Amino acid sequence: MLKKALLTLIALVIAIGGGAASVWYALHVQKGAGAITIGAWTAFPDIGTPQADPYTNARVAREGVLALGRAEGLAFVAAHDSAGQPLLRECAYRIEGNLPVARFWTLYAADQSLDFIRTGKLRPAALQSYQVLRRPDNSVLVDASGSPAPGNWLITAGEGPMYFVLTFYDTPIASSTGLSGIQLPRIVRRGCNA
Amino acid sequence: MRKLLYAVLLGLVGAGIVHILVLMMVPELSERDAWSRLSMASDLYRMTPLEAESGGQPVVKSVDPLFLAAACRFDLNDGIVHVQAAGKVPFWSVSVYDRNGHNIYSFNDHSAASATLDTVVLTPAQMLEVRRQLPDDLDGSIFVETPIGEGIVVLRAFVPDESWRPAVSRFLEQSSCTLKEL
Repeated sequence: MLKKALLTLIALVIAIGGGAASVWYALHVQKGAGAITIGAWTAFPDIGTPQADPYTNARVAREGVLALGRAEGLAFVAAHDSAGQPLLRECAYRIEGNLPVARFWTLYAADQSLDFIRTGKLRPAALQSYQVLRRPDNSVLVDASGSPAPGNWLITAGEGPMYFVLTFYDTPIASSTGLSGIQLPRIVRRGCNA
Repeated sequence: MRKLLYAVLLGLVGAGIVHILVLMMVPELSERDAWSRLSMASDLYRMTPLEAESGGQPVVKSVDPLFLAAACRFDLNDGIVHVQAAGKVPFWSVSVYDRNGHNIYSFNDHSAASATLDTVVLTPAQMLEVRRQLPDDLDGSIFVETPIGEGIVVLRAFVPDESWRPAVSRFLEQSSCTLKEL
């Protein structure tokens, strides 16, 4: 009798514990179903639409996100540089390359919860396309670091993991067919403050 | 031993079922979704800024640091919702979300006549009603027809640099979200 109760208990613990833990795990990994990865950048074009998969739906509900609509824009997040190393706030990066067509775009450095980094200075940790300097071939070079850099400087601060969020507004790539064949800038680590 | 193996196997099958059930229940039961957070911050038909008021947690985690946003909850069972904003800003966009935070419809200033925001959210049945006799003040509005009850309208505006911030926040402050009964 006791053995039977014990076996039932084991089955129940595995079912409830395992089920809940696997959902928790699935909702906490950054990459989920429906992700589109281009180089170091990842986007979820379906997030917050009725077509989204159940995992994305659950994430939207848990985090209280109000995702950008198709006519608004599309956000890409980078957690790694182009060599595959995780991005760190104490390191300097160079973001370089061509960007897809959009009315304008913004780029900001974010912490783990994807809030932008508070630098404690007047300059926000964000850049936008109307203010950047371009090279003759229309490509852009941005230096992200804690110390001032010439050209386009994206200020960062602090220590720990960092994310870059690149959002294109009013862009044809937000439609589902627009994402094929686009190129996004590379992220190259320049050095770190030990 | 066989019995133990059987129990573990049964547990794993159960875990699969629990996984699916929990996943389906999260959107229904979440108290942290955008609607619930907004309802704690303000009433229906009130444009509420989504940014943190000096230091606190933002109401709904949106957005781009170079954007300001305001949201208003509505319930189409009460009547139609008229959202308006006047003024010139570099870029604004509007999204309509349903109760679960799904983006139903979005548009930006390029899709609006004369770049001022004037939109009406209503159900197809209300649209029939409105079409029969178009009220004068809805002449020229963008009609967003959607078969939902409760929902959220979010107005976002771009702040290219700090000098634009007062103008853009004024644009959001004087935006209105009004209930019109038919």
